[in-house]
Amino acid sequence: MHIPDGFLSPPVWLSLDVVSVLALGYVARRAQRGMEETRIPLLGVMGAFVFAAQMINFPVGVGTSGHLVGAALLAITLGPAAAAVVMTAILAIQALVFQDGGILALGANVMNMALAGVLAGYLPYHYWSAGRLRKPAIVLGGLLSVAAGAGLAVAELLLSGVRMPAAVLGVSAALFLLTGVLEGLITLAVVQGVEALNPGMIRQPSRTRAAVLGALALAAVLLAVGGVLAASQAPDVLESLAERLGIAPQARALLATPLADYEAQVFSSPWLRKAAAGLVGLGLIYGACVALGRLAARRKRG
Amino acid sequence: MHHAVVDRWSHGHSLLHARDARVKLLVLLVFLVALATARVSALTILAYSFLLAAAIAVARLPVGGVLLRACVVLPFTAVFACLSLLAGEGSRALALAVRSYLSAAAVLVLAGTTPLPEFLRGLESLGAPRFLVLVVQFLYRYLFVISEQAQHMRLAACSRGAARGPLGPDRARFRAASGAVAVLFARSYARAQAIHRAMLARGFEGRIRMLSAPRLTAADWLFLALGILISLAPLAGTP
Repeated sequence: MHIPDGFLSPPVWLSLDVVSVLALGYVARRAQRGMEETRIPLLGVMGAFVFAAQMINFPVGVGTSGHLVGAALLAITLGPAAAAVVMTAILAIQALVFQDGGILALGANVMNMALAGVLAGYLPYHYWSAGRLRKPAIVLGGLLSVAAGAGLAVAELLLSGVRMPAAVLGVSAALFLLTGVLEGLITLAVVQGVEALNPGMIRQPSRTRAAVLGALALAAVLLAVGGVLAASQAPDVLESLAERLGIAPQARALLATPLADYEAQVFSSPWLRKAAAGLVGLGLIYGACVALGRLAARRKRG
Repeated sequence: MHHAVVDRWSHGHSLLHARDARVKLLVLLVFLVALATARVSALTILAYSFLLAAAIAVARLPVGGVLLRACVVLPFTAVFACLSLLAGEGSRALALAVRSYLSAAAVLVLAGTTPLPEFLRGLESLGAPRFLVLVVQFLYRYLFVISEQAQHMRLAACSRGAARGPLGPDRARFRAASGAVAVLFARSYARAQAIHRAMLARGFEGRIRMLSAPRLTAADWLFLALGILISLAPLAGTP
């Protein structure tokens, strides 16, 4: 479920762009550290593999078919950091070349599928990769990766003011659950197939503390999603929740402050003010990223 | 599988093709932000459609092709537009449809006038992490190679009688499909290792060297200024 441009409200896509860019910087560094830099071609080719694998149809019941999404499979074979990088690359190509997902909404899509989706797909495998629970853990990973991505997307749309009646939410939740179970079963079947061909291609998870942090972050995100979904049934509650979470007003305040002095003269029309705030926001994101990158590079050298 | 049509467009020649990738990206971002924040009215729809049409004409892209390809967003949009209509918010439904369609068309103009390697080089010089840029570059380079391999495998399977039909229960077909994906995985993995060895043998040291660094010309600066102004202009008058 790739969100196109035009659906998310500026505070939502701006804040998600910021979060995704920062998280990606961290993840890319981790992915680089975890492997010889030599694996750049590997990550690129595995991204191409996911594209191609999506063309292979899996029969589901009578006459219908589904296909692999791939986040959980990549996380299990390449590790979560590398998988997030590959999924991001896939989303970027889909947005640019195939018009699947927007450019301003790329941060949101990266958050849903490449960051949360990969993490959710990986965590069960991380904790139960050995022993009897291994197979259910892989299936659960596939299910969770789809559910997390879809749930986040729906929450973002609701936060942006897109209306979805309860009946529609219920039907789509059931559909996502079905897709998720299918994804889990396909992931398990493919992992077993790959293992039969070459057991070395499946990564054994390393015991690190980062996984705990990841689990906590994911739990927090999913809780927020649950809150938004629950509150969407009562719009007043949603508004107060958004305010309490500080998402919308903070973003607005943050964007409005640098422009406050000029508002009276130049930005007399509310539209211009909004557009200018969006542009300044993009500029601020860019500046912050470049500064952070420089800082990280200096620390590495020092 | 043939190369993406957009890829073929991007190797054309026109005023827009000749502009620096970074400048085009900046103008696209301004255009998208303007579109995302604009109040949708007949005037703004007309103005932005006209701007896009002008860009398509200047870039000498096939008009029908661009309009048709931008329709990719419509299924997603249609669902939510219908929901908004049912909720009695006709203006919101219209806004969703117009914004998503015009945004997709605008991205197509950029993608159709900028070869991806050039675009990625621009991104890198704007400060995007090299690691990520390289992964995207490799993904795009091998996308069609691996897809073609998948097509070959499917053809081979079909010629052995795997075609859809009353034969064979779903369970067996499911196993066959997962086996095919697993084989494709292993082949891609092996191909990546071979590629890497070949790159090392040719002296790869973690980055791709370019023959010339892209430099912004006066025309690029002019395009940047004009592009930003024109993108914002249609709305300056609206409340």
